[in-house]
Amino acid sequence: MLIEMPDGSRLELEVKDHRIEDILRELQINSEEVIVAKNGQIVVEEETAGGLDVLKIVRIVHGG
Amino acid sequence: MLSDVERERYSRQIRLFAEEGQERLKKKRVFVAGAGGLGSIVSLYLAALGFGRIRIADCDSVELSNLNRQILHSSSGLGQSKAQSALKALSDINPEVEVEVLQERISKGSVDRLLQGCDMIMDAMDNFPTRYLLNCAALKRDIPLFHGAISGFQGQATTIVPGRTACLRCIFPRTPPAQTSPSLGPTCGIIGSIQVNEALKFALGRGELLEDRLILWDGLSSSLDEISCERNLSCPDCGHLQRIGRGDR
Repeated sequence: MLIEMPDGSRLELEVKDHRIEDILRELQINSEEVIVAKNGQIVVEEETAGGLDVLKIVRIVHGG
Repeated sequence: MLSDVERERYSRQIRLFAEEGQERLKKKRVFVAGAGGLGSIVSLYLAALGFGRIRIADCDSVELSNLNRQILHSSSGLGQSKAQSALKALSDINPEVEVEVLQERISKGSVDRLLQGCDMIMDAMDNFPTRYLLNCAALKRDIPLFHGAISGFQGQATTIVPGRTACLRCIFPRTPPAQTSPSLGPTCGIIGSIQVNEALKFALGRGELLEDRLILWDGLSSSLDEISCERNLSCPDCGHLQRIGRGDR
């Protein structure tokens, strides 16, 4: 699975059907600060991902 | 009906959408939530375009640290309320539009009154709790919310049409932790301009809106990306609304 991190860097993880909240925890990312898109679609963190999925982790911006 | 002065002022854009389009803009009443970095870009362009009535709410005063990006305000207005400073700048850029400024905090108790009579909401806030209030108010009033947010070189924007698209709560289900973001003028310029472009298309009934699409700007790589989103039918804010198709409005 390919993961695009909030800073734009990419990493590959060999996982199968991992819950996204567990993936975030392993990557030490606070799930409250990000949204996650799986294959281009925003998903909830209870969703699972793995195999050939592409995850994009986006840091939510607040300012105005 | 446009006056001769208005025809002249808007002549370059009337070429694009005819007098009929300009008259549509003139009839619109827009609420701008915040007169900061995004609110500066949003309100200046709305006024310059000729959106007929602009109501802008902000409870703060102009501080020196605002002036790196908040081009609605200037050094001569330091200490003045942002609302008054906005009134002067917007009236200067286009005296043909009606500008109403409110030095007031947007709260659960005030949001309904502040939005009275408005057709669309421009989100130029700096925090999510107030954005959620605006989201609920947009859903209740069945008017669009044009979301934008920035931090440093990054920005995001989307367009929320009640019943038709994901709402802000569908996209961001939980309140992110509060923080003071670093702010850059160019990022405000890009995201604020996208928001106004969306409002313009909505008002004209032209083009394709950022519906169910969150656009992501990264100024460091000069790249725009987008991710898609969809309505959460169990969303606490919009789950009760009947689904409306894109051709239904």
